[in-house]
Amino acid sequence: MEMFLMAAVMSLLAVAVCAVLFAAATRDEHGEASRPVVQAAREPQRFFASAPAAPLRAEAAREGTEPELVPVEALLLRIEQHIRLEQAAAESFLHRPTDESLHSRTTSRLVN
Amino acid sequence: MSSVHADLLAGLPDGEAERILALGSRTALRAGQVLFNLGDAADSLFVVESGRVALTLPLRLRDGQQDVLIEERSPGQALGWSALVPPHRFTLKAAAAIDSEVLALPRAVLFEHFAAHPEVGYVVTRNVSAVVGHRLQVLQTMWLREMQRVVEIRGVRARSVS
Repeated sequence: MEMFLMAAVMSLLAVAVCAVLFAAATRDEHGEASRPVVQAAREPQRFFASAPAAPLRAEAAREGTEPELVPVEALLLRIEQHIRLEQAAAESFLHRPTDESLHSRTTSRLVN
Repeated sequence: MSSVHADLLAGLPDGEAERILALGSRTALRAGQVLFNLGDAADSLFVVESGRVALTLPLRLRDGQQDVLIEERSPGQALGWSALVPPHRFTLKAAAAIDSEVLALPRAVLFEHFAAHPEVGYVVTRNVSAVVGHRLQVLQTMWLREMQRVVEIRGVRARSVS
C-alpha cells in the first residue's frame, strides 16, 4: 500500500513538473507570435515615411530634449512679443534702477 | 501731430522749428514701402509726419531670414539718426507699417544751418543726444538681461553634465 501511494505521488510530481516545463517552453513562442500583431494594430496607416516624426518630436519637446517646432510666423510673433516685453522691462529698470527690476521676469513665451 | 512738436525740435521757438522743417522734403510711403535698408548710406534724418514706420532687424530663422520688428516710430518721432553719426550707415531697416508720410532732412543742409545758427544746432544736437542716449541705455539693459539668461542657461547645462 505504501509503495502504491509513493508511486502515485511520484507520478503526480512528474506530471506537474512536465506541465510546468511545457508551459515555460510554449509561453515565449505565443508571446513573440502575438507581439507583431499588436504593433501593427497600433501603428497608424501612413503614406509618407516622415509622418510619425511629428509625434516623436512633440514627445521629445515635452521631455525637453529638443525645442518645440512652431511655424515661422508664430515664432516671429513670439520674438517680437519678447522684444516688446524686454524693452518694457528695460524702460522700467531705467525709471527705477534696482537689482530686482534689472532681473525681473517677463511672461515671454520665448524664454518660459 | 505737427512736426513743429517733433522730439528733435523740442525746446526750439516755433519760428526756429519751422525754419528747420522748411529745410526738408516730405515723402509719402505706402504700407510696406521701404524707407531705407540696413547698410544704406545714411544721408538724411527723418521725422514721421503721419502713419507709423517700423524699424526691423534681419534674424536668421531656420533656413531663411526674417525681418523682426524692433520698434515703431509714430508722428513727431525722429528716426535715422545714423545720418548724424559716422560712419553714416543705417543699422536698421525702416518701412512704413501703414500708409505714412515722413519729412527727410538732409545732413548736409542741416549741418550748414547749424553752422549758421549754432544755438539751434546746440538744441537739436542735445535732443538727438537724448534720443540716442536713451536708446543706448535701453539696449544696454536688454543686453545685460539676455547675458544673465545665457549665464543661467549655461549654469543649468553645466550642472546637468556634471
